[in-house]
Amino acid sequence: MIIKLERIEVQSRRDLEMIDITNEVDRVVSASGVRDGVVMAMTTHTSSGLLVTEGVECLERDVLAHLERLAPKDPPQGEYNYWHNRYLDYDGRLGFNAGDHLKSILGGTQCFFPIENGRTMRGGRQRVYFVEYDGPLARTVAIQVLGEGA
Amino acid sequence: MNWPGIDFHTHPVLVREMVRRHPHLEKAARERFYIGNTYQPLETLHLELDASGLSHAVVLAMDARSSGKGTVYSNEEIAELCSMSDRLIGFASVDPGCGDALPRLRSAIEDLGLRGLKLNPAMQEFFPDDERAFPIYELAQELGIPILFHAGMSWEPGSRLEYGRPGRFEAVAAEFPRLDIVLAHLAWPWTTEAVALALKYPNVHLDTSALYFENPKDFLSFVMSKQIPLGVFEHSLRKQILFGSNYPRVEIKNMARAVRSLGFSDDCLDLIFRANAERLLGKRKLNSRAVEDEAWMAGGVAHGGVSS
Repeated sequence: MIIKLERIEVQSRRDLEMIDITNEVDRVVSASGVRDGVVMAMTTHTSSGLLVTEGVECLERDVLAHLERLAPKDPPQGEYNYWHNRYLDYDGRLGFNAGDHLKSILGGTQCFFPIENGRTMRGGRQRVYFVEYDGPLARTVAIQVLGEGA
Repeated sequence: MNWPGIDFHTHPVLVREMVRRHPHLEKAARERFYIGNTYQPLETLHLELDASGLSHAVVLAMDARSSGKGTVYSNEEIAELCSMSDRLIGFASVDPGCGDALPRLRSAIEDLGLRGLKLNPAMQEFFPDDERAFPIYELAQELGIPILFHAGMSWEPGSRLEYGRPGRFEAVAAEFPRLDIVLAHLAWPWTTEAVALALKYPNVHLDTSALYFENPKDFLSFVMSKQIPLGVFEHSLRKQILFGSNYPRVEIKNMARAVRSLGFSDDCLDLIFRANAERLLGKRKLNSRAVEDEAWMAGGVAHGGVSS
C-alpha cells in the first residue's frame, strides 16, 4: 500500500475566483507511483472550496454568481442577518465573512476520484476547481493518494 | 494593474518573506499584534491592493519598548520590506519613553527613506499632550513628515482607552500648526470630538480605519452618516479625511468598498483615496533637505524603497 500526501499552494488573485487545479491533482497521482487506488483533495480553509464541474468560463461565472446569490457577502436584512458579524478575540479581528463560509459549505471542500492504471479516472468534461470565496489569499490544498503500486 | 490611491494605514505583520527572514516577527504578530491569520506572501498584499482599486499602501512600524510591549516592526525592517516592493511607503516609529527617539527618527527619515511617523499612545503609554513628547513633534515638523496617531479605542490587551481621547491631541495641533497629524480609526468612539478638532484645526486629519462592531459597511455607515452627518465630511472635512483600512485586521477590499458605498461625490472620493495622502506625503519635498522621489512633483506617488 502506498500513501502519499502533498500540500500545494494556490494563490488566488481575486475576491471570488475559480482556479482549475486538475493538472496539479494529476501530477500528484503520477508522482505517487499508485496504479490502482484513490485520490482525495481538500482545501484546508473554511472560506474556500473544492468542486468538480465542466471547465468553461461561462459556467465558472454562473457558479460564483449563484453561490453569491444564495449566501451574499452583505448580510441579509431581517431574520436571516448573519450572527458571524462580531469581534473574534481568538483571531484579533472582526469576523464578518459569514457569506463566504456559507458558500464554502454549499460548494463543498473536498473531492475524490478513483485511480485506474496510474491515471485519475474522471469524466471527459470534469475539471477540479479550487474556489476562492474571500481572496486574494495564498491557500493550501492537501492532495492524498492511496493505493497499490505497479 | 495599478490604480492611483493609497491605503494610509496597514500593518505588514503577516508578510511571509519577512517572517522567514526575521523569525522574531512571528512572535510580534501573534503576541504583540494579536493576529491569528496565516502568513501570506507579499504578492497577496499587492493583489489585495489591486482588488481594492489602489496602488500603494503605507506600512507601519511600532516601537513600544519602554512600556514593555516591544517592537512589532522596527524602522529597519520596514525599510527592508519597502525595498522589496515599490508599492509600499514606510512609516517609522519611535518610543517617546526612550532617550533615543530623536536620533532614531532623524535616521529613519534621512537614512532609511521612511516617509512618516506612527505613534500609538495607548501601546506606548504616553499622553499625546505630554510635553516630553513635544521634541518629537518639533522634529517631525522640521522634517516635513506627517504623524499617524492611533486614536480612540484599542483592542490590544493592556492598552488603556484614556490615551486615545481626541481632546489630548489638541495641544499637538495647536502648538505645531505646520505639523500634519492624522487621528486613526476616526478616533471612535469619540468621533464627534475628533471631528470638532478637525473642524477647528486644519492640520488635523482623520483616517477611515474604524471597525469595532458589525462589518465595515454597516459600521462606517453608522459613524459617518448617522453619528456624524455625511455632509460634514463631504463639505467641511473633504481635505482632511484619508482612506485607511487597518489591514490585516480588516481587508483593504472590504474597507474600500465600505467607504465607496457611503455616498461621497466622486471628487471627494478622489481626495479621500488619493489626493489628501499624496499631499501629506509630498510635503517633505517642500520643506526638507532630503532628496525625494521625483514622482511627487510629477503628480505621481512615492516609492517606498530605501534611499541612499
